[in-house]
Parts: sequence; C-alpha cells; structure tokens
Amino acid sequence: MAARILPLLKLATKVTIAGGAVYVACDSGLLGSSEQGAQALEKAKAAVPPALAEWMKYFGLEAQLPTMPKVEFSPVKSWNSGVRWTISNLSEAPTKAAEYSNQGLQYVKDLIK
Amino acid sequence: MSEKELGKKWDRCLADGVIKIGTGLGLGIVFSVLFFKRRTWPITLGSGAGLGMAYANCQNDLRAHYLQHISQKEQ
Repeated sequence: MAARILPLLKLATKVTIAGGAVYVACDSGLLGSSEQGAQALEKAKAAVPPALAEWMKYFGLEAQLPTMPKVEFSPVKSWNSGVRWTISNLSEAPTKAAEYSNQGLQYVKDLIK
Repeated sequence: MSEKELGKKWDRCLADGVIKIGTGLGLGIVFSVLFFKRRTWPITLGSGAGLGMAYANCQNDLRAHYLQHISQKEQ
C-alpha cells in the first residue's frame, strides 16, 4: 500500500513545486509586458542590498563585507563623450596634419641652412 | 518617435530581456531538476523561450508608435 502511494506522493510534490514556480513567475509579472519586466528588475535591484545585509547578519559576517562605493559612472555619458571626441579630432586632423608637416619642413630647412 | 522616447524603449527592452532570460533559466533549472534528471535541454529551452518572449515584446514596443489603434481609425 505504502509502496504504491510513495511514488504518487513524490510526483504530486514535484508537480506542486513546479506549478508553484510557474505561478509565481506569471503572477509577479516576470512573463508579462516590457513595462512589467522593467518594473520587476527595478524592484529586484532595490531589494538586493537589504537582503544581502540581512544574510550577512544571519551568518554573523557583519563587518566582513565592505560596502560598495557608489560609483558615479554612466556608460551612456562615456560613450557619447567618446564619440564627440573622436569626431572632433577627425575633423581637426587635416588642419593639424598640415600644421605639423609645415613645422617639420621648417625644422629640416633650418637644419640644412 | 523622439530620441528620448526611443532610448527609454531600448532601456525597457534590455531590462525586460534580462528578466525574461533569467526567469526562463530559473524555470528550466526547476523542471530539469524535478522531472528530467538534471539534463541540460530544459534549461536551454527555458532560456531560449525567455529570449524569444523578450524579443517579441521589444518588437511590439518599438512598432507600437507607427501603428494606428482601432479607436483612432473610427474617429
């Protein structure tokens, strides 16, 4: 009797766990529209540091993990400034090349004199 | 569509992509461990399905600006 029920019970437990995971994923908007997905990511980002702090406290490793310094780094701003720098240098390149070649020629002329 | 709006749409697309691939991966791992004897294919299937859903969402979001809604058509 027990030998017949046990595999059935195991299967029922597995189905419950899997079904629960799918339900939680659908219910929390993880598999919904773009806005819901973006909101879920913001919530997750906000929830990570306090959760991490609590876990550290639980394991008694409070003073061990140094706090992450808030780096004011924006990849978008860096990329844009890089593009601007490249294009401005490309536009100035012919003028500067002429200038440097003139200077070089003048230097060689002075040496020959 | 203004550049600012386009930028926001792309940000939403990327965030949504990360969430969907992660969710697909997670569900794939759960199914792989529980039903498929820790094989790799459910994980790959889950991640791929998540990527596909994110792609479809992004495509709809970017095209939505150029589509006319039926309520506007009736006016």
